[in-house]
Amino acid sequence: MTKADRFNIALLGNPNSGKSSLFNFLTGLRQDVSNFPGVTVDKKSGRYTLHNGIEAHIIDFPGTYSVYPNSSEEKLVINILADADNPHRPDLVIYVADITQLERHLLFATQIVDMGYPMVFVLNMTDLVEKDGSSIYLNGLKQYLGVPIICISVRDEKNMEELESKIEDLVEKLDRLSASPLYQLSDIETFVAGRVQKYLGLENIYTAKIISHHYQWLEFLSQDQRKYISDIIARSGFNDLKLQVRETMQRYDSYSEVVKKTVISNKKTLKSRTDQIDEWITHRFIGPLIFFVVMLFVFQSIYSWATYPMDWIETGFATAGSRMNNFLPDVWWSDLIINGLMAGMGGVLVFVPQIAVLFFLLSILEESGYMSRVVFMFDSIMQKFGMNGRSMVSLISSGACAIPAIMATRTISNPKERLITILVSPLVSCSARLPVYAVLIAFAVPDIKIFGILNVQGLAFMGLYLLGILGALGSALVFKKILKSDSGSFLMIELPDYKPPIWKNVLLSVKAKVIAFIAGAGKIIVFISVILWFLASFGPGDALKNAEMEAIQKSEATGKSIEAQNNLIASYKIEASYIGHMGKWIEPAIAPLGFDWKIGIALLTSFAAREVFVGTMATIYSIGNDNDEKTIREKMAAEVRPGTDIKVYTTATSFSLLVFYVFAMQCMSTLAIVKRETNTWKWPIVQFLFMSVLAYFSSLMVYQLMG
Amino acid sequence: MPTLASLKPGESAFVTLLDEGSYTCKLLNLGILPKAKVTMVRKSPFGGAFYIKLERHQLAMRTEEAETIYIEQEL
Repeated sequence: MTKADRFNIALLGNPNSGKSSLFNFLTGLRQDVSNFPGVTVDKKSGRYTLHNGIEAHIIDFPGTYSVYPNSSEEKLVINILADADNPHRPDLVIYVADITQLERHLLFATQIVDMGYPMVFVLNMTDLVEKDGSSIYLNGLKQYLGVPIICISVRDEKNMEELESKIEDLVEKLDRLSASPLYQLSDIETFVAGRVQKYLGLENIYTAKIISHHYQWLEFLSQDQRKYISDIIARSGFNDLKLQVRETMQRYDSYSEVVKKTVISNKKTLKSRTDQIDEWITHRFIGPLIFFVVMLFVFQSIYSWATYPMDWIETGFATAGSRMNNFLPDVWWSDLIINGLMAGMGGVLVFVPQIAVLFFLLSILEESGYMSRVVFMFDSIMQKFGMNGRSMVSLISSGACAIPAIMATRTISNPKERLITILVSPLVSCSARLPVYAVLIAFAVPDIKIFGILNVQGLAFMGLYLLGILGALGSALVFKKILKSDSGSFLMIELPDYKPPIWKNVLLSVKAKVIAFIAGAGKIIVFISVILWFLASFGPGDALKNAEMEAIQKSEATGKSIEAQNNLIASYKIEASYIGHMGKWIEPAIAPLGFDWKIGIALLTSFAAREVFVGTMATIYSIGNDNDEKTIREKMAAEVRPGTDIKVYTTATSFSLLVFYVFAMQCMSTLAIVKRETNTWKWPIVQFLFMSVLAYFSSLMVYQLMG
Repeated sequence: MPTLASLKPGESAFVTLLDEGSYTCKLLNLGILPKAKVTMVRKSPFGGAFYIKLERHQLAMRTEEAETIYIEQEL
């Protein structure tokens, strides 16, 4: 789409200014999240209809501190603002500032004004100031900025109609009230920016100055243009950092008096509420303790709250499957629909409750300001493992599901730290491993209590989780040594004032994440499910037909019920299918781990997703659709090696299999998300290989030591 | 000249100069600039980072980041 087709309104402001809340208010549910072309930066956009019937396009840009960016998200914003031909270039800027942080939030606003953008300046969170008993005077600020100003409170939805009518007014006449620049360029800046302005044919000299600062990475410049700017800079002695300091200080100096006259506080509070809360939350001993209690609560909630909807989804799909079985003709494509497509879709949707609950709780922690405290508290530990305090958030989320965890790494600006976090996150035991653990622990560990309260099987569960965490940290150490990094790492993070979360934001963020999961990973899960269905439903030549005949003969000879006969047929069929052959083919490779070809089949099908293990076991051991863990367990317990009476599932095999599931990369969706987030197939392949090698050799060690 | 990293918990000072380097841009954006009043609130539980308070907002930063901020007790 070209620029002329639509009217662009940009929401700009610092992080934590309440910009996204305003966006949610203005667009309601008419918003969508996509990527800006070529980068993994979320583009949140929505339609907004003006009274005169014009459809405006509102984009919620990533939070930005100034025109001197530090992250890829901020760079994207500058790339758009400095480029006269960008299709996202705003026709009008709605600048949102937190009135309690006015001095800092004014910096970027003055820069946008100097770039010549028409702007409405929105002072948000006025409810907090009024609660304080402070007064707001806008005259000085209005005169200084030369743009319309409006005070709102998105939380209380106060003054919102007035804001909307201001936007209308501005759309009618897009002019700045005053034309004098807020920043006075130095001689050197005037020289360089003047040349660049003339060379590029720009209207605005301040934009030319910004381009001169960032010419090395601004995407819209051609090689020739870069060369020209670089030559001028080399000749003039234009010093990036010194000039940034000069500009920042001059701007602060120019408005600090104005700010003092804008918000007049009536009471002198020595310690704010945030200070008081942080005395506990970030306390040396109590802080980490509170953190672990919070995490315990999060996990409990995921397991207990998400179980019910997950059960509904599973039963729903099972019922729908059997209903359709009754009315669809008995041909191959009905089987594809029921056991391929629908099973695949069920496999996607079953994760939705967990992802929703996790993101619900995480976004409350994020919105309230707690997450940045976690980053502060654990940064030094994470650094020892080549990661960043921000990695903590991902590693925690991995306990539910690696997919949202990997999506959450975007806030880590150092590429190496981000990559390590992405690579090791799936080693933290996710909820999909739970059913597998539950089935296998029953074999490996006796159901007894020690000290009267501690269940040994429960301890084994905890042990597996710890093993996963150790695996993640250990691999991180190795990657820290191997991977190279040329950009610096930093912590520097704002610890925003604590605020009660705005529920609309929380729910919209949950919705966005769920949709991203279904759209991103869902397609691949369904695709792989169909492939697996094919491999399990077809075999070479007449193999399947013969297997069916054999099963019928055998069951007729022993006089089994129809249901038992069907189950036996399914079991013989899967053995004769392609995947059965593949299981037998890999048996020599997995025999040293204590696995037979039946486990081999389960390992292959688990590649799509771990929890498929239980279902595959059910099919192989011919217990039909009865996915009851207890039945499967009994069947598996009775299994012996052919021609002997040695049990297949000895303690050694069970432990070996458990360890394999702790470390192995058996999740297509995670690999798909890693591909999306790193923009290359290299890293998902590396991740798959290192996790497989780790799983194989750990299992080998366990089996050989115990067996 | 003393840096922000040398302050003890509870002590305040004024920023005089930033050691120009890769952190400067980020520090300026977060409101750390000459003449700003900074207070060292506490160290992180496992060391290596500080909780810093400015006039109206709070920041966290690593020791090596705080070492690029020169301070003076009085302006």
